[in-house]
Amino acid sequence: MPELRKDIVTGRWVIISTERSKRPDDFRPQQVINPDKENLVFCPFCSGNEAKTPPEVFAIRENDSSPDQPGWKIRVVPNKFPALQPGPPPPKKTKRLYQWMEGVGVHEVIIETPDHKQEMSDLPEEHLAQILQVFRLRTIEIEEHFHHQYVQIFKNKGKEAGASLSHPHSQLIATPIVPKRIKEEIYGAERLFRNQIRECVFCQMIKEEQVSGERLVFQNDQFVVLTPYASRFPFEMAIFPLNHSAYFRKISDQETFQLAKAIKQALSRLKTQLSDPSYNLVFHQAPNPKVSEKAWPGIDRYYHWHLELLPILTKVAGFELGTGYYINPVPPEVSAEYLKKEIQLKS
Amino acid sequence: MKKILLVEDDKSLCLLYEEELAKEGYEIVVAHDAESALEKVNAGHFDLIITDIRMPGKDGIELISSIMGLRKDIPIIINTAYQSYKGDFMTWAADAYITKSSSMDELKEKIKDLLKD
Repeated sequence: MPELRKDIVTGRWVIISTERSKRPDDFRPQQVINPDKENLVFCPFCSGNEAKTPPEVFAIRENDSSPDQPGWKIRVVPNKFPALQPGPPPPKKTKRLYQWMEGVGVHEVIIETPDHKQEMSDLPEEHLAQILQVFRLRTIEIEEHFHHQYVQIFKNKGKEAGASLSHPHSQLIATPIVPKRIKEEIYGAERLFRNQIRECVFCQMIKEEQVSGERLVFQNDQFVVLTPYASRFPFEMAIFPLNHSAYFRKISDQETFQLAKAIKQALSRLKTQLSDPSYNLVFHQAPNPKVSEKAWPGIDRYYHWHLELLPILTKVAGFELGTGYYINPVPPEVSAEYLKKEIQLKS
Repeated sequence: MKKILLVEDDKSLCLLYEEELAKEGYEIVVAHDAESALEKVNAGHFDLIITDIRMPGKDGIELISSIMGLRKDIPIIINTAYQSYKGDFMTWAADAYITKSSSMDELKEKIKDLLKD
């Protein structure tokens, strides 16, 4: 069972993954393992290889196809070697000065398509909307349990972003503690809401960006893609719903189509303008409503769910690690200008 | 007699595994790298394959992928010193993942389990 340990000074929790533990020897740079996975002839995520994954927990499939058999369009399976494992609510424990708890949670893999080579940016909008609907559905089901306090949906694309397999997939990890990063966003938005601006700060930022247009990359009726004012990385993008909502789980089917268009625009622009870099796509949403309503009453008025799209073009180094500051060599206004250029969308 | 292909670049470890698994009545064929392992899979029949991951030349993950491209029906056990490869989705292609720090009994149990008819 993995373990969660709290840094008692900063309040940050760390997953100590015993299942994936590395011996000191693992870190010695001996040889590069699998420098180019594209050469692999077998993929456990491809259609026909369903037996190589744990049994599916959900799938969108053809009417007459059976679970764990070909005939699926989107497939959700538990991670065979999860970072957090299912279990009952874990109590916080102490070990002298320190706090820890058992690493209980959920870790699922969403296989986005049976086609190994069809990247998210190449999927038809309807298919991408269905993936978003699957994210919503899994979030709602997992949040039935109070101790699944935060559902993190993310996608790592490319080796530099941490992906070990190129077959298009996303992941979902439900944690028993709300991550510090999310708490910081919630507290920051709450502070501004109560003391200064009396409305959702994200809504205000979106309006500001629409007026200036300097960092706007794309927008449709319901979503906006922009390069954030204080972007940490070159060509970093954020996607916000124009309709205020704290919870991604409340997105309508119709909105998933509009979000699919916005994601496709953002990903296609990265691919076309920056020669297909590795990236992380990260959802930020309010914690499990069962937790949020108690811990942050009124969160639905001041928090605003969104996505971050982080292309991996620079390396985080000593200064960033030491200070938490980021040095971004490309101003977001320049990034936006570059990303805005006309592109040809696939399908 | 069930025939097992053992892919392991550490020759002294090979001797140990050969001796222990022969005691269980298995016929062991050894390959010290992925390329020769593939040749052996192409040339003959095996009931099970045990492979290391970190090896000179092609690594165990590439080997598993190549074997699965040829034959999907041979059970494969990853036997590595490293837990960290569990983060690599390609290891899902194998039927079991064992670390070299595990006991020999655990490996024998896993083999028995996978060779059940």
